[in-house]
Amino acid sequence: MIWLTWRQFRLQAITAAAALAAFAILLAVTGPHLASLYSAAGIGTCHGGSCGQLASAFLSQLAGPYPTLYLLGVAVIILAPVVIGIFWGAPLIAHEFEARTHYLAWNQSVTRTRWLAVKLALPGLAALAVTEGLSLMQAWWAAPIGRAVGLGGTAGGIARASRFYPLVFATHGITPLGYAAFAFALGVTAGVLIRRTVPAMAVTLAIFAAVQLAMPLWIRPHLFPPVRTTTAIGSDISIAGGGPTANYTLTTFTLPGHPGAWILSSGAVNATGNPVSSFPFCTQAGLRSLSSTMTCLASHGIRVAVTYQPAGRYWAFEWTETAIFLALALALAGYGCWRLARRRS
Amino acid sequence: MTAVVEARGLGKQYHRNWALADCTLSIPAGHVVGLVGPNGAGKTTLLNLATGMLAPTTGAIEVLGARPASGPAQLARVGYLAQDAPVYAGLSVADHLRLGAHLNPGWDGGLARGRIERLGLDPGQKAGSLSGGQRAQLALTLTIAKRPELLILDEPVSSLDPLARREFLQELMEAVADQDLSVVLSSHLISDLERVCDYLIVLVGSRVQVAGPVEELLATHHLLSGPRRDPATLPGGQHVVSASHTDVQTTLLVRTKDPILDPAWTVSEVGLEDLVLAYMSQAAAGGRRRNHLQEVPR
Repeated sequence: MIWLTWRQFRLQAITAAAALAAFAILLAVTGPHLASLYSAAGIGTCHGGSCGQLASAFLSQLAGPYPTLYLLGVAVIILAPVVIGIFWGAPLIAHEFEARTHYLAWNQSVTRTRWLAVKLALPGLAALAVTEGLSLMQAWWAAPIGRAVGLGGTAGGIARASRFYPLVFATHGITPLGYAAFAFALGVTAGVLIRRTVPAMAVTLAIFAAVQLAMPLWIRPHLFPPVRTTTAIGSDISIAGGGPTANYTLTTFTLPGHPGAWILSSGAVNATGNPVSSFPFCTQAGLRSLSSTMTCLASHGIRVAVTYQPAGRYWAFEWTETAIFLALALALAGYGCWRLARRRS
Repeated sequence: MTAVVEARGLGKQYHRNWALADCTLSIPAGHVVGLVGPNGAGKTTLLNLATGMLAPTTGAIEVLGARPASGPAQLARVGYLAQDAPVYAGLSVADHLRLGAHLNPGWDGGLARGRIERLGLDPGQKAGSLSGGQRAQLALTLTIAKRPELLILDEPVSSLDPLARREFLQELMEAVADQDLSVVLSSHLISDLERVCDYLIVLVGSRVQVAGPVEELLATHHLLSGPRRDPATLPGGQHVVSASHTDVQTTLLVRTKDPILDPAWTVSEVGLEDLVLAYMSQAAAGGRRRNHLQEVPR
């Protein structure tokens, strides 16, 4: 059975290996220069407050191919699971039904359950290996950027993002494993139920996309109860609003003293801790410059209430989310097996 | 006489349609059995139930004394060549033999290679580019080389041209002679199977209309023609299968174990094809008023 599965999977395996090799070459060619830029920036020997400045300087000097390559890598890792689900998972069983070759396969001296188990295992493990391989290569390549961000370096674009930023979170660590397993099992089970390749591909894409949107928006922030705190008005903050109602919202992007924290929500509170959205004492004459507005607000006792996930929970989030997706993948695969064994043809 | 297939009250429902309903039959061992019936009689459904490709909605079926496809051992005992002989289009002829060798502990590699050589198939050729006849021969080779005790073939020759049809049946008969196989072949045309079957089952609307060894069926059916007469006046041992009348003449197909003694009849032999058609049209006339069975969805 392993031979047949390998024989049927050979072409896809070679394609995946070629894609992996191309990605590796691209990163291997550009990675060393990125690392040399990092060491030339002198971040390795910095102390205290200068680190953030050096890191920011390093990030903002990254021009040319590096931001594009960074985004390309992220895009490849984001798309790999769904491509695997659509092109490996969905046709795996559905195409056997379409070509009626399940009549041939199921009448050899091998039970249907074993047939499906091997067909799931071999391409399934390959899906995990390919996706995590891509992720590890990207992590090696982007390590200087990650370290600079971790030191508090800020610059425009994705480089300002903490490890919790959805695109970064989903492409680093172990989450790609969970996504790949889930997408593959989803494709296979859609094929078992729908029995036609193209509709199974469409359903796989739709469900996977919906889950990938729902996870960072509605589910991930609540995996652990967030921490609430209030802090003095810092520098990395914005204020928006105004108009006839003179209502303003205060948003902070970083939490002073907690680099890398995942800020879920923030807003202004007064000295007694109640939320406020109207500051007539500072905004009567309209907004002045941001820093003078902030100084004014601080002098009136306005602070910022922040709801956040501490940076130290990063791996707890990674493990929990990966476990959720692996469990979903196992449940889907088990359901597919059960349907195939029970329904019979 | 032991049975290779034993069905009791067997039924299979798709959504609201019954593809096979309340089917009870017994297929004896050691024969080449022709399962004949019109399209929609439930032949494919019956064979898919016998190979475990489908699970019955009602009733039970036993094949070689066990539940179909109940495990690797049972799977090894039954060979199934499904309709249109599906093969993997992207795999070569040699790959198919490798597939058979890897998936069947009882695989007879010498037999498979010998057959492929004799048939003149190129081992390197992709199965998708084979002709219909070659594809059927490849699928038959896979099915035979796993050394089953029972070989089930669903409409094996209906899509083949006459020459390929004859070659296929010749190959099949050689395998049967060599290996002591029981065989069940289905077809909607008895002319396909006439030369190879020694046992016949006519299935119409899930019901067995007639079953028996071909020689016995031919010996007990007679075509009678004579002056016009009411079939009800025949002797008790003579069962009328079909009757047609003109103004002056009556023609009857009767089944009886006794000789025809009435000198008013001109008695002639009946061919297998006419015999089967008589049973089918008799059942169809009744069936139209009864239930409508659907062709099996694939």
